[in-house]
Amino acid sequence: MLKHIRKALAISALFLAVSTAAFAQDKPKVAFVPQLIGIPYFNAMEAGGNRAAKELGVDFIYSGPVDTNPVDQLQIVQNLIDQGVNAISVSVLDASSIAPVVEAAKAKGIKLFTSDSDAPDSGRAVYVAQATDEGLGSTIIDELVKRVGEDAKIGIVSGEATASNLNAWIGFMQKQAAAKYPKLKLLEPQYAGGTAERAAQISGDLMAANPDIKAIIAVASTTCPGVAQAIETAGKIGSVIGAGYCSPNTARSYLKSGAFGFTVLWDPAQLGYLTVWAGKQLIDGKAFEAENKVPGFDNPVTYDAATGILLLGPPAVFTAENVDKFDF
Amino acid sequence: MRQLRNGVFSLNGREWSLLVACVLAIIVFSVASPYYATSGNAGTVLRNSIELLLVGLGMMLLLAMGGIDVSVGVVMGLAAIGVGRALGAGVDPVLTAFVGPLTGALLGLLTAAVIVLGRIPAIVGTLGLLGVYRTAIFVLLGGQWLSGLPTGLTLLLGTTILGLPVAAWVIAFAYLAVWVALRRTPFGLHLLAIGNSEEKARLSGIPVVKVRFATFIVSGALTGLAATFYVANYRNVEMTVGSTLALDAIAAVVLGGTSILGGKCSLVGTVLGVLLLRILQNGLLLTGVPSLWQPVVTGGLLIGVLGFEVLSNRLSLSQLGWASK
Amino acid sequence: MNRIRKLQGPALILALLALLWIIVILVLLVLKPSVFSLATVTTILQFSTILALVALGQAIVIMAGGAGIDLSVGGIVSLSAISGMLALKLGLPAFLLPPACILAGAVLGAFNGVLVTKLSILPLIATLGTFFVYSGLALALTGGAAQSGVPSWLLIWGRGVFSGIPVPFLTIAIPVFAIAGIVLMWTAWGRWIYAMGFNERSARLVGIPVDRARLILYSLSGVLSGAAALISLAWLGSGRPNIGQNLELESLTAAMLGGIAILGGRGGVGGVFAAVMLLVTLKTGLLQLNVNTVWQVGIVGALLVFVLLADRLSQNWR
Repeated sequence: MLKHIRKALAISALFLAVSTAAFAQDKPKVAFVPQLIGIPYFNAMEAGGNRAAKELGVDFIYSGPVDTNPVDQLQIVQNLIDQGVNAISVSVLDASSIAPVVEAAKAKGIKLFTSDSDAPDSGRAVYVAQATDEGLGSTIIDELVKRVGEDAKIGIVSGEATASNLNAWIGFMQKQAAAKYPKLKLLEPQYAGGTAERAAQISGDLMAANPDIKAIIAVASTTCPGVAQAIETAGKIGSVIGAGYCSPNTARSYLKSGAFGFTVLWDPAQLGYLTVWAGKQLIDGKAFEAENKVPGFDNPVTYDAATGILLLGPPAVFTAENVDKFDF
Repeated sequence: MRQLRNGVFSLNGREWSLLVACVLAIIVFSVASPYYATSGNAGTVLRNSIELLLVGLGMMLLLAMGGIDVSVGVVMGLAAIGVGRALGAGVDPVLTAFVGPLTGALLGLLTAAVIVLGRIPAIVGTLGLLGVYRTAIFVLLGGQWLSGLPTGLTLLLGTTILGLPVAAWVIAFAYLAVWVALRRTPFGLHLLAIGNSEEKARLSGIPVVKVRFATFIVSGALTGLAATFYVANYRNVEMTVGSTLALDAIAAVVLGGTSILGGKCSLVGTVLGVLLLRILQNGLLLTGVPSLWQPVVTGGLLIGVLGFEVLSNRLSLSQLGWASK
Repeated sequence: MNRIRKLQGPALILALLALLWIIVILVLLVLKPSVFSLATVTTILQFSTILALVALGQAIVIMAGGAGIDLSVGGIVSLSAISGMLALKLGLPAFLLPPACILAGAVLGAFNGVLVTKLSILPLIATLGTFFVYSGLALALTGGAAQSGVPSWLLIWGRGVFSGIPVPFLTIAIPVFAIAGIVLMWTAWGRWIYAMGFNERSARLVGIPVDRARLILYSLSGVLSGAAALISLAWLGSGRPNIGQNLELESLTAAMLGGIAILGGRGGVGGVFAAVMLLVTLKTGLLQLNVNTVWQVGIVGALLVFVLLADRLSQNWR
């Protein structure tokens, strides 16, 4: 018996030595915590992050919750803090509940910053933004007005009612409509949770309730297929156009069928790259300039010191004509 | 057993109340919204009921047997991945349509193996499998949804035979087949007997293990069939597919008068339960109630109907008591 | 080996869980020794507090039999947190926030109890209904918006750490589990609960007020969920309308893993506590090793099936 134990101990000691060696790398570690894993959008960000990690010489960790549950997200961030990852970026699910981990990170001297979805008053180091919330909200309204005119009724189908970034976009849509297009009628936003099935159900009902509806906006990328499908099913292609924040790959067939007029998005891989780059800057203790040259970016990336926002650039508009040029 | 013989063409109390509730809801909504009573909207409601009708049918059989399956949502998801992959690979649409039920049946077999052979309570066992199947969905999709699938399966919804879409025929056939199995074959008697008391069923020589296996497989196949329609309808399979389906199905079936204690089931009730849920969800949105209230209505309906029935039974019993005195 | 064979029911489960826990720790120790610090302990306890309380409520409801189960626990947590914060907005004095949350939980739990005992709706269905209602109400009343404005003195309590142990865990979870353990083991009340779960008819025959006891147990489950809601407020600093999401399934998993028999009458709070610790340690370990989170749900599910099979096999031995 004793022999066995001694053997086991020896083996585990060996393991220990090997694994410590494997983990004792000097590369700084940058982590990104998405809102949800397993969706194409964040997958593309992960790919961009990996590319940046290789080029900038850091280790990149990508880990996120399987449900859009803020406590699960906090747990992941907390564990990254305990691991001593040098910089952690979070696409915040709920701005109000991120505070405990921000404190914990500060106490350990870890750079915690936000990316993709912000928590403005949390004390984060920087926010790597794809576009401003205002820009996203007003772009989609402006683009829609170009297609359906100012005198139109527009429905909004969002995902989780609790997602603070989606709610911010909806807020700016309503603001833009009220300020610029007084005749435009935005219907109350409806929430489909995370499933395409519910989004289709709700969109179908919206079109039945408002026969004069001209467009439906799919706010969460998970709602895009459902909204498009409902328009196709109702035979309203041409009279109702869908729009939303979805990736070209998700929306391609709907753009071509005409169910979707356009989608507004940025390149998530670029955003992932920029996130890791920003993490590296923070670790190196380099301050952000008003205009930053980032390797691989055509235009310099602007930084607004007052709000602490590092901006990827204006969002792109994808239509049936240009969608085939993109693959994400 | 009387339950078994009647209740086909004659409706029982619960089924009547549901039918009345459906009609009432339709009348109220038609008055409240000018857009409600249109053929287009009726089509929307029916189309939205397809998956729940099929999954509910399987769930009904399981509940009648004293079982339950909380993993049906993810089973549908896995089957949908199978259908979607086949469709995307250019397999003939007619063959693709069978991939769903087949995958579902295989998963039903797996579930049954764990629950029946391991003799684990169904609710806990399927809870565990729910986790395992969810991980399988994540791994199979790997973050890339199946989007923009070919339209090959759409003919299931678009084509009509004798004025009814194929989907309606398939669902009618599924219900008819289950009806025949329940009422005209030993399988039905055995299933309900197990639901009444598994111990007694075993003692009276009913092949309990076989029947339980068969029921899980049939439920899986029906769920898989729902997956075929899901893909036909949405041409998209995302990672969250079916996440609310299991609880919705249980609610609809129980609303229809099937007892979770087993031994009792109602096909008509299941159809009416599903339709009532969908009619209310659709009608509330049309009359301007925000979608966030829909779960409140589902739950309230469940508690309300069951509570009302208990109270009214009690009332009539106490009246009888008075009369006899 | 013989001794293991003699272990049965709760003791076997407890031994099994402890063994699994040690395995998890050992694997971690081998793969990533740097994990072992006080900070990790704090993290584990911090993230087990809410689950532990809710799972305890789930466990006592199931233990008392009568097909008892509480699917609405997550809904109660969300709705208690929201109603506490809404009451605050309507002018409730801040010092009454803690009792308000717990009271809300008690009322919601008591409603479940009334449905089950007075209207004799089966618990699975009654609490499925209230699950929809409670979690739906929390979202519909707020439109999904988080409710801010938790008083700062509450945050000091909620985020405090005392020698490595989070204060809410120390001041609520530990006492509650201790009391529950004592009550179940050494008081007539505890014996009633086991008796009800073991054989309801004979429990009624010997004069145990089964319905009243059950009503109280559902209310207690509500109280524990209300306490969990309070902890979430004090820790996160805001009331979230979906804070209880998935807690019904997680608490059920923890209770089952902890050796509570689904039909009632068997199990103990020690097992539940061990199961919660195992689940959270496992999750933490997987996160520390940077294992993709998609494996978590699968591993937990497989673990549940495995433990149930082991339990079943142990019964066959006897």
